[in-house]
Parts: sequence; C-alpha cells; structure tokens
Amino acid sequence: MIKLKGMADSVLRCIISEELPASGFGEALRAVMEKGKQILPGARVVLDFGARALPEPLIASILSGFVWPSGICVVAWITYDAASQEILKRGGLSISEPLPESPVVGRNTASLVLHRSLRSGQRVEHRGDVIIVGHVNSGAEVLASGNITIIGRLKGLAHAGYEGDENSSVVVRSMEAPQVRIGGKIGSLEREANWWARNVIVSVRDERVLIEYWPPLKNEAGEEIARERPIYR
Amino acid sequence: MASRVIVVTSGKGGVGKTTTTANVAAALAEMGNKVVAIDGDVGLRNLDVVMGMENRIVYTLIDAIEGACRLNQAVIRDKRVENLYMLPTAQSRTKDAVTPQQMIDVCNELRKDYDYILVDCPAGIEAGFKNAAAGADEALVVATPEVSSVRDADRIIGLLEAMEKSPIRLIVNRIRRDMVKRGDMLGVSDVLDVLAIDLIGMIPDDEAIITSANSGILLTASSGSPASRAFKNIAARVAGEDVPFMNLDSNESAGIFHRIKTMFGF
Repeated sequence: MIKLKGMADSVLRCIISEELPASGFGEALRAVMEKGKQILPGARVVLDFGARALPEPLIASILSGFVWPSGICVVAWITYDAASQEILKRGGLSISEPLPESPVVGRNTASLVLHRSLRSGQRVEHRGDVIIVGHVNSGAEVLASGNITIIGRLKGLAHAGYEGDENSSVVVRSMEAPQVRIGGKIGSLEREANWWARNVIVSVRDERVLIEYWPPLKNEAGEEIARERPIYR
Repeated sequence: MASRVIVVTSGKGGVGKTTTTANVAAALAEMGNKVVAIDGDVGLRNLDVVMGMENRIVYTLIDAIEGACRLNQAVIRDKRVENLYMLPTAQSRTKDAVTPQQMIDVCNELRKDYDYILVDCPAGIEAGFKNAAAGADEALVVATPEVSSVRDADRIIGLLEAMEKSPIRLIVNRIRRDMVKRGDMLGVSDVLDVLAIDLIGMIPDDEAIITSANSGILLTASSGSPASRAFKNIAARVAGEDVPFMNLDSNESAGIFHRIKTMFGF
C-alpha cells in the first residue's frame, strides 16, 4: 500500500496508495520506517498521495508519526485534491515536484506523467511538462509551467506556461474545453467550432492563441485545411 | 448479514435524491429487509413529506443526538410498508447542529437493528454533505442527464472516493427517451462516459413520481409505473441480485453503450 521508489538527484518517492484506508496510515507508515531505517534518515522524500484529500489532522499525524521520527526531509507533498493543496500551502509546505539539480538544457524542469483521469475539483500543478493519460473532466484543472499533453478529453481548464512561458503548448486528444490558457493569454472556444471534440494543438503565435488540427486535416485535393486559426484574443 | 449504510447523494439540488432514497428504501423493505431512511438534510427536510410521514414526527435525529430522546424514539415506522422506518431531521435547525462523528455514531447504533440504512444527503459539498456521508460505507450518486448535474456528480464522486466510500454507483434519473433520440439530451452512455463509475439504475421521467412525492404515497407501493419498476430494480441490484438492465431491441446494434441507451425496461 506504500511504496518507496528512487528518483533523479537521489530523491525518494513515497507513494501512498489511494486504496489505503486513512485508519491504516499509522501502521503502514511505521512499517515503511522499519523497512527503510537504513536509508530514510536525512533522505529527501516526495510524499505522493495521489488524489487523496489531506485534512489538517491527517497532515499533523503524518508529520508527527512519520516525517519527524523517521528523520526524512520532505521536499514535496503531492495531492490532486485542490482543497488539500491550499491547506498544505497555508502551512508553508511545498506542493510542487522538486526541480532537478542539473538543469535540462533549455528548460529547468521535469515531466509529470499521470495515468488517470481528473474529476471536477481536482487539480494538478506542476513546474514542468504534464502528460495526462486520461480525461480532464469539467471543473478539473491542470497547470504546468511547461507544456501540457492530454491523451484523452479536455473538458476542464488547462493552463500551460503558467509562470509566463508563452512558448508552451497544449496538445489534446479531444478538445472539449471552452477555454485554454497559455502564459498570460486566454483562448476561448465555442462548442460549435470545428475544433470541438477533435485532436488539436493550442499554442501562442504573434501574441494570439492559436488552435490547429493535429495531425493537420486534408481536403479531397490533399490540401491542408484550417491549419491554424486564432481562437480569441 | 452485516448491515449496510448507503448515502444517496448528487452534489446538485433537485435531481431526485429524496425521491430515490424513499423509493429504494421502500423497495428494499418490500423485499423483506428491515430498512431505515435517514433524512440528512437538516433544516430543509423533505423525506418525511415524500414518505407521507410529516404528521407523525415527534422527535428528530437532532433530538436524539442532543439527548432529548432515545434514538429509537425518533424513528417512525411506516404503516403501509412492513419493515420500513424513517428517521426525520429537524426543520428548525441548520447543518451545524450535527458533526460527522455524531452521524457515524447514529449510523453505528442503527446497524444493530436494521439491514439497510439509507441516508438522504443534502445538496452541496459542505458540512451537510460531509455529515451525511460520514457514517456511510457506500454511495448511490443520482444524476440527471444535464451537463451541470453531471459535473456536480463528478465532483461528488471525487470527494466520495477521497472519503473511501465503496462501491460508488450511479443512478441516472429523469431520462426522456424522446429527447435523447433527438439528440437534445445526454444519453446514459454519455453520462457514464464522463463519470466512469458503475451504473446501478436508470429512471425514466415519469409524471407518477411527482404525484407520488406530493401525495406521500410511495411509488413502489402504489403503481406499476415505469419509474416504480426502475426503483424496484435498483433495490434488487443493491441487494446483490443480478437484474438485467434492458429490454434489448434486437434490431439495434450490439455495442454495450448503445444497448444501455436503448433499454428502457429499466
């Protein structure tokens, strides 16, 4: 129910299964401490709770029952529950994946790959690129400082380059969202638009948000049609 | 059999939580189970009206929690359906009158005497929802085929998953076959496609529901209307029976979603 995995830059990832009942937390964490007592003290650890909600008492019990006694240094608390992210932020706890120590050329970020769908009210915020193998339902949010790729339906909000990078793009398998944000720009899309429910790429060019079919559609004469059109603003 | 606590919820208001709670509870009772339906909507109670028991309330859930009476004094027995009981809530109080722990205690107390405890949840995702869901093991999510209802149901399912309720199953209510056919309404397959949870029942839009809710005479007891059959089927599926969803139209293509869409035997 709780797994420890090595990541880049000698960071450990502690993945707490969403199926683990909250009542079983204490025992499972004690077992991890017991098994990992050689490696845990001083280790930099990402605590990954998936979509689990983290109410204040649970966070407090994890701190006092696991984080402090095991001697680990938590570099990030990962949850897709938006309300829990706010609670963690208010407590001064980091909710973003750690940045790599040796920057990748061109972009100082790592990618986040999620094999799941996001429901209304769930949010992913990540410094780097985000790839979602699943759907982003209406009312869910994906924020990435880099690019966003959604191999599924986008009905919720995607904001690529949320720290201001307007070279970012959003690639979607089925575009069903009325709005997409890139950097400081907002593109909006009508339900009647040709791009609705199609596979598209959204980017910023000449200060405008653009949407285009991906791969490009061709007419009977083999010419590309509607390769790019401004959405709005 | 271990007793089961099931919360009936939706997120959005007005989609049929109370009607579903009342009728599924009655159908489960008619099958021989001892069932209590709890009105979890403190301050906006309606389960008593739908179940035709509003003039029999002496004590409420809140009285029992505050110690003004014993829990079994607040429970009302239905005179028409054997084994069916209802625990009303207070109309003059607000959601703050209960805590999640108190609801867990009430549900655990009722587990000793009942096979099924159905909790009618208020709309919203705040304290009222959290209280109603606190004591439940599993959930029935009611949604109508409207975009707003589906989005709210999606939010509620996310919260129920985080609260570790299982199974969480879907009831699609107020389906109008003619509108679905015309493409003016989402089909059941569209709703399932978004929500990605198991379907446990589909209820047609049926005038008999309104008549029944206003008169306080439960559908399951009074008529053989399509909605009444739908509620009975849902109750049977809750009890673990394998009830087929559909009157399959053999002329239709055989895709599973298409089949579900075309079945209106409910």
